[in-house]
Amino acid sequence: MDAKHQLPEKVFNKIAIAVAFSPRIEAILAEAKNLEEKFNAEIIFIHVGKQSLEHEQYLKHLLHRFHFDDEKNKIIWQNGIPVETILNVCEEENVDLLVAGALEKESLLKYFQGSVARKLSRKTKCSMLMLTDPTIKPIQLKKIVVEGSDHSKTGNTISHAMEWAKAYQSEEVNIIQETDLSKLALTRSDEFKEVEVAKLKAVLLKEEDEKLNYILSCIDCGNIKVNVKRIDGKPGYVISKFARENNADLLVLNSPDRKLNILDRVFPHDIEFALADLPCNLLLINSKDEE
Amino acid sequence: MKTLTPNEIVSLVLSLGLMLIIARLVGELFRKFNMPLVVGELVAGVLLGPSLFGNYYPQLSQFIFNTEGNAAYAINGITSISVIMLLFVAGMEVDLSLIRQQGKTALKTSFVGLIVPLLLGYLAAFYFYPLFGEAPADNLHRVVFSLFIGTAMAVSALPVIARTLMDLGLFRTKIGMIIIAAAMFDDVIGWLMFSVILGMLNSTSHSYGFLVTFGLTTLYAVGMLTVGRFIINKSLPWAKKNFSWPGGFLSISFGLAFLGAAFTEAIHIHAIFGAFIVGIAFGDSVHLTEKTREIVNQFVNNIFAPLFFVSIGFTLNFVEHFNLQISVLVLVLAVVCKLLGAGLGAKWGGLTNKESLAVGFGMNARGAMEIILAILALQVGLIKEELFVAIVIMAVVTSIMAGPALQLLLKNQLTEPTQKPEEDNEVYTS
Repeated sequence: MDAKHQLPEKVFNKIAIAVAFSPRIEAILAEAKNLEEKFNAEIIFIHVGKQSLEHEQYLKHLLHRFHFDDEKNKIIWQNGIPVETILNVCEEENVDLLVAGALEKESLLKYFQGSVARKLSRKTKCSMLMLTDPTIKPIQLKKIVVEGSDHSKTGNTISHAMEWAKAYQSEEVNIIQETDLSKLALTRSDEFKEVEVAKLKAVLLKEEDEKLNYILSCIDCGNIKVNVKRIDGKPGYVISKFARENNADLLVLNSPDRKLNILDRVFPHDIEFALADLPCNLLLINSKDEE
Repeated sequence: MKTLTPNEIVSLVLSLGLMLIIARLVGELFRKFNMPLVVGELVAGVLLGPSLFGNYYPQLSQFIFNTEGNAAYAINGITSISVIMLLFVAGMEVDLSLIRQQGKTALKTSFVGLIVPLLLGYLAAFYFYPLFGEAPADNLHRVVFSLFIGTAMAVSALPVIARTLMDLGLFRTKIGMIIIAAAMFDDVIGWLMFSVILGMLNSTSHSYGFLVTFGLTTLYAVGMLTVGRFIINKSLPWAKKNFSWPGGFLSISFGLAFLGAAFTEAIHIHAIFGAFIVGIAFGDSVHLTEKTREIVNQFVNNIFAPLFFVSIGFTLNFVEHFNLQISVLVLVLAVVCKLLGAGLGAKWGGLTNKESLAVGFGMNARGAMEIILAILALQVGLIKEELFVAIVIMAVVTSIMAGPALQLLLKNQLTEPTQKPEEDNEVYTS
């Protein structure tokens, strides 16, 4: 516990933008410009599909319109299966953050099939930002909700969330500790008295509180109002519900520990609850150092 | 509608009242000695049943605990409902998303913890069945009987495992969740296997045939755990908004549990399997709060569970059917199978040798689930009374063994995990 949890000087060095020639392209590029400025990062635009002259000229026109520097940024055109191709490019280019637009909610069939953005979030090895409602006038992240679960990735996730909060001058950051004590019911139905259950809960949760306090003590929160809340319920579902009910602008979660597949949608857990119905913009933090 | 006479009602309520009170008194006495409540409830049944009270005071026993006539039918109906409710609650404890979340590690742990006892139990019963006091009529019955012994060796008591992990300070750790997930998976497979065994046993006596029964069972389980589970999860917020709560939940959940039980009983798989699967479907819902879960647990575990476990004592004379050889054989086989299987599984899951052995002892505790398995096997004629008594003794002894074994193995470590969060915190530092 001697070494402090510290972020690299630049939060994200390389940011990749998944570009599709959809009606949202201008808004996505506006958000990309905003991210470039906030984090002083190199931007890579990835388009999977045929590189037609028309598309090329249109994209160049848009990049010029949003004042992207040709020298600093890169456009990659590739053919192939969108998800796999984008992930390969991210890996080859050592991308830190992948950005894609995503619908808040998809039809049941589409959800189980998986859209490009959601598939990317389930498989990517870098961090990912899913923008539910990108606009020409870049998003304001007034309220940020962050995962505070008892997990090895949480410290890094909270650190990143704080950097975002500072960069976007957020008003408040809510760190949510999700408490799923349903397993406690297994032991207590005939084993414990009520008072013993309360003590047991306190012991179990004290350890988690201490870990979170330690993490927070190591992070510079600046002038941002930080609230720590403990909510009972299923991890992933509880924090998404909180983000929705509190009109959060950004939900920051740990990235999944492994690639997720259809079984994770049939038996949802953690981020799958958020992906099923995105409550707001979603940022998944995947620390390369952890790996 | 046929009704009970006033005398029969007196007999019925007198029996129920005494069963509940004596079960609680004996159960609490056992709890004082750190033994599970269920052991006390079983002992209460033995004390009140033909083994002791009925043996020495047959007339008084017959007057209070009427074993013939309509009151006896009513008691039988209540205990049958009790076991269905017990399995519904057991199902609610299974968290499919946790199993999925823990991924391959949990599957590896559960696989070893399941396959070793299953295989050893099966082989022991198949080749040495006379030692179990059984003489299967034909090869099919021999296979079915051996499968049952394998399954009986493989199941474990999830609550005891949870308690074990809590004592180890591993309850909410990654490895703790892996063990819990593995035990849940073993439970699901165990009950599915037991249902298949009953299906195999019944396939000779009804028109469906084994394959049809197996197909319907699989269809029911898969349908309920996917589509059924989805519908239940989506419907609960609506029900919560429109019904009184948690009363509404009790009505709907138990209602569906009974419907599920009726379906599986109709396809000649025991009713408990239907309720177990419905329990899983309900227990997995994100809308099920801890409070509601607790109400259901308390309702079933403190009213219906004691009635069921006490009633086992009325089933037969434990003293008369006690066979030392069979009891020792079953106990030794059970302990060896589970210590080896669960111990290796936990070791594979990443625990140290001592911790693996401790988890082996924790998972070795068979508890209430084993007794339910045994009584159902006895009822369908799969096992004889001597083996039933031996399995009950094994379930009780292994449950009692768990606590002291853990104390002994981990006396230096028991409080460490809750006092040293720093160990885990290392991962946050860079």
